[in-house]
Amino acid sequence: MHHKSIRTLVMAGCLASAGLLALAGTALAEPASESMLSNTCAGCHGTDGVAAGPAMPSIANMDAKIMENLLMQFKSGERPSTIMGRIATGYEDAELKAIAQHFSKLPWKSTAVPTDPKLVAEGAKLHKSEKCNSCHEEDGRTQSAEDGVMRQAGQIPHYLFLQMVNYQKQEYPDVPKKMMSRLSKLSEKDLQALAHFYASQK
Amino acid sequence: MANLTRRTFIKAAGGAAAAVGLVGPARSWAAEPHVVVIGGGYGGAIAAKYLRMMSGGKIKVTMIERDESYYSCPLSNWVVAGFRDLGVQKHSWAEAAKAHGFSVIHKEAEAIDPKAKTVSLAGGEKVSYDKLIVSPGVDYKDNIEGYTKKEYEQHPHAWHAGPQTEALKKKLAAMPDGGKVIIVPPEDPFRCPPGPYERVSLIAHYLKKNKPKSKILVLDPKDKFSKQGLFAGGWKTLYGYETPNSLIEWVAGASGGKVARFDAATGTVFTEMDQHKGDVVNIIPNQKAGQIAFASNLVEGDWCPVNKQTFESTLHKDVYVIGDACNAAKMPKSGYAANSQAKVCVEAVIRSIHGKDPADASYVNTCYSMLSPDYAISVANVFKLKDGEITPINGGMSPPEATPEFRKMEAEFNESWYRSIMADMFA
Repeated sequence: MHHKSIRTLVMAGCLASAGLLALAGTALAEPASESMLSNTCAGCHGTDGVAAGPAMPSIANMDAKIMENLLMQFKSGERPSTIMGRIATGYEDAELKAIAQHFSKLPWKSTAVPTDPKLVAEGAKLHKSEKCNSCHEEDGRTQSAEDGVMRQAGQIPHYLFLQMVNYQKQEYPDVPKKMMSRLSKLSEKDLQALAHFYASQK
Repeated sequence: MANLTRRTFIKAAGGAAAAVGLVGPARSWAAEPHVVVIGGGYGGAIAAKYLRMMSGGKIKVTMIERDESYYSCPLSNWVVAGFRDLGVQKHSWAEAAKAHGFSVIHKEAEAIDPKAKTVSLAGGEKVSYDKLIVSPGVDYKDNIEGYTKKEYEQHPHAWHAGPQTEALKKKLAAMPDGGKVIIVPPEDPFRCPPGPYERVSLIAHYLKKNKPKSKILVLDPKDKFSKQGLFAGGWKTLYGYETPNSLIEWVAGASGGKVARFDAATGTVFTEMDQHKGDVVNIIPNQKAGQIAFASNLVEGDWCPVNKQTFESTLHKDVYVIGDACNAAKMPKSGYAANSQAKVCVEAVIRSIHGKDPADASYVNTCYSMLSPDYAISVANVFKLKDGEITPINGGMSPPEATPEFRKMEAEFNESWYRSIMADMFA
């Protein structure tokens, strides 16, 4: 027993010095910067987090805590996704935090995708009648890390629509039961109306 | 709470992080260092734009690009299959050049003189640089007897998007129902590893809809290919793969798939043991780094060796090679990889100009493949440098079992991916 632990100690010592040698061999580089980690996101989420694709959300100016939470939920698998879960597992927690910090500092740019005025008007009514405005204040402009409330104002409408359909189908962390049950009663056209209303709020 | 949130929003919006450049004077450089970028594709377009953005406009950037307009290879298989216009694939550099302040010279770069630090252009003009980023893409080998440049027009490989894409589409459209399409993928490594199999899928989609008595024969020099399990699964779901009525037959290299010779006049391919006549024959040749890399001694074998933390050539100082032309294993030769490498390279170039060692790098590849307009699969990987090699940290492929909604969502994301990455390059 005693013998064994000495051997373990010696082994550990060897490993440690091997590690030190390895470190000495390659000059210690500065850790990857926030921009180094984050600029790779642009391939899907657009330059500086302003997306051009209809199914893709813009992520610029997202509250850092909200984004960190989302990324951690993607990483753990708690938040359903097609691809973000696979990508998030490639990063250390601290790196996800740095990515969230980076995007939180970038300016929001509302979508240029045109909205349908009729749908916008219907959506404005639903926003009030379905009490969306009790959490999504200022017509979807507010963000709250505490409640997991993300900005929808000026977001790409097709993304908003797809995401609400997802919320109808399965549970998401941060989506309260009340919101789920309200959403489940809405038709596809209602969801389109809400999506167009929020997208129109620049 | 609302007020607080709003205040946070305004503060963040006001502090616009326009440039993430490094401050401080450049050491022993001209007042305005000049970086030249050769090639305006997935790597070069990003390099030019991000050099301007990340230096806060303090670096003069010149792009040298032979063509006046650009056709994206990713999504060009949709054009071949007839559900996308080639025009959607076409882009130009004018908008990004104006918005970010770099200039574009539309001439062929013929050679690099790494000692004089100049690039010579077709017509004799020379452009001098402090740092040079080379992103020339791929060129083709004559690995199949009887299939060389001369035959490209009659039998388009369509591995460079543009007129070749349209030509292949026309050949398919002209083929009678009951015809045979032969596809010959290249050997590794090549541009877009899942690309040939996406093409097989989407041609199958076209035939199923328009010419259901037709067949596709894939004669592959390889025994396995990218995302193979996902492709085979999708082919079973969509095209009766591995049934007597399958639209697709795939022959591995070890089972006689290796094509040695082609007779362009009759459209016949010859394997070691057999011969097959196709109504449409699509040979995708083996590949190597673009011409300029060979003209300028940037290659070792077929590809350009680079320091994988910076993408600086290991053969010439102050010359960097990114994208398909460099050896960036284990990153695949993909558009997204070139985009990611360009950003790593730009940060290293700017740091070097400021006399700083490169920082840790982070690389990503995200790549979608369509099996039908409503069915896509993907691979996504995050990479880091480990012992000098680009190593996948985690990520992976779409799940082997997934709902039709999941596959459809990935197809939607493919189109969104395209629009965002095009805007990253051209806006």
